[in-house]
Amino acid sequence: MSDTFQCGDNAALVSYLYDECDPAERAAIAAHIDLCAACAAEIAALGSARLQLASWTPPDADLGFAIVRPQAPEPAPQTVSPGPWSLRPGAWLRPMPVWAQAVAACLIFGVGLSLGVLRGTTSTQSSSVRAGAAATADTPGAVTATDLAALERRLRNEMAALRATPVNATGAVSQLASTAQQPANTAQLLAQVRALIDESEQRQRRELAFRTAQVVTEFASQRRMDLAQIQNNFGQIEGLTGAEVREQREMLNYLMRVSSEQR
Amino acid sequence: MNWTDEDLVARSRGGDLDSFNQLILRWERPIYALAYRVIGREEDARDVCQETFLRAFRALPGFKGQAKFSSWLYRIALNLCRDWIRKQRRAPTVQLAEGVDPAELASEQGPVESIEDLVARRELSAVVEEAMALLPEEQRTAIVLKEYHGMTFQEIADLQGVPLSTVKTRLYQGLSVLRRHLEKNGRVPQLVKRT
Repeated sequence: MSDTFQCGDNAALVSYLYDECDPAERAAIAAHIDLCAACAAEIAALGSARLQLASWTPPDADLGFAIVRPQAPEPAPQTVSPGPWSLRPGAWLRPMPVWAQAVAACLIFGVGLSLGVLRGTTSTQSSSVRAGAAATADTPGAVTATDLAALERRLRNEMAALRATPVNATGAVSQLASTAQQPANTAQLLAQVRALIDESEQRQRRELAFRTAQVVTEFASQRRMDLAQIQNNFGQIEGLTGAEVREQREMLNYLMRVSSEQR
Repeated sequence: MNWTDEDLVARSRGGDLDSFNQLILRWERPIYALAYRVIGREEDARDVCQETFLRAFRALPGFKGQAKFSSWLYRIALNLCRDWIRKQRRAPTVQLAEGVDPAELASEQGPVESIEDLVARRELSAVVEEAMALLPEEQRTAIVLKEYHGMTFQEIADLQGVPLSTVKTRLYQGLSVLRRHLEKNGRVPQLVKRT
């Protein structure tokens, strides 16, 4: 570092400005500034710009990040491995835990499977379909043209029978009684229906919460925009008012000056 | 107990997730502020902040403590900011009226600040932000690191990978542009006497 300073050494000026120079250099620059008005003004202006920088603050943000494990906790590893970790916001929108997602998936799959099985058992009780099922016993689940034809025949027969015989209350009761022969199946079906209804309600609740959050967010944004607009308008009005007051003051001064001159 | 960064890093390297989360808690605000001031967009700054910690966590086994943990984080964040700016291929945009909430600001500042002062401060903040957006990325970064993160010239030089003299030149040029912009916008610098 030198003990003398010359005009135009901007790097040295910056060192002085941030007070990051050795004492000898600092003394040399200070001595120069006392004598040189241009350098003194330069330092003062840079210092003022620095002061104004302090007014700039970033907007608040919801951070609260945290590293979370993607799966159920395992025994603590000896070292951190670059696995499929995820970083999630802590304060907002936490995803459903993995175990809950797995349970939900199993539940939905189970309900679907049970319904499918139930449907299959009911159909095989009918004699006409049983014949079709026997024909395709080697490939369960595959529907052939024969099956469809048999089904069509059965439906036509049933419709014809319904048309031919009037609705009979006792017949309906006996049909119900035959259905009630499988109380276990019915109870199971009811439980499944209840589960589906519950699930649907939960989904609707989630949807409602989501929509509400959307509305709240939109409202907050609109409010911010309105406030900003008001602030701008206020600034404009203030500017206009200030100008008018200045004009009036000038006018008064002028009148007073003129009146005093006339006296 | 108040652990140092080094302690928390060591524990994190040993598999203690909570320790790393404490480091996040400690450094997320400064990293977010750095990202915001460099790239100028709130949402993207948050993304950069999140990605910084994720990368740091993944790279933790390779961090041997040769530099301060904060410097290492700053380096990751600045690299991400640089990537973001390159990707955008445009000057950072300034969010002027967005996010301005006088009521919140008033509550932050307490009753001592009048509404006039508040408005004046917000206006000045917007002008400063606008001026900062005019600067080339390397000058803006140098000023941000110096002014808002209190780094030494040497630390900035290490982070930016340039000689010390280049850092001083960047600071001088950046401050000069800022000064001119502030003057142009009626923010006449006041003469201050350094103590």
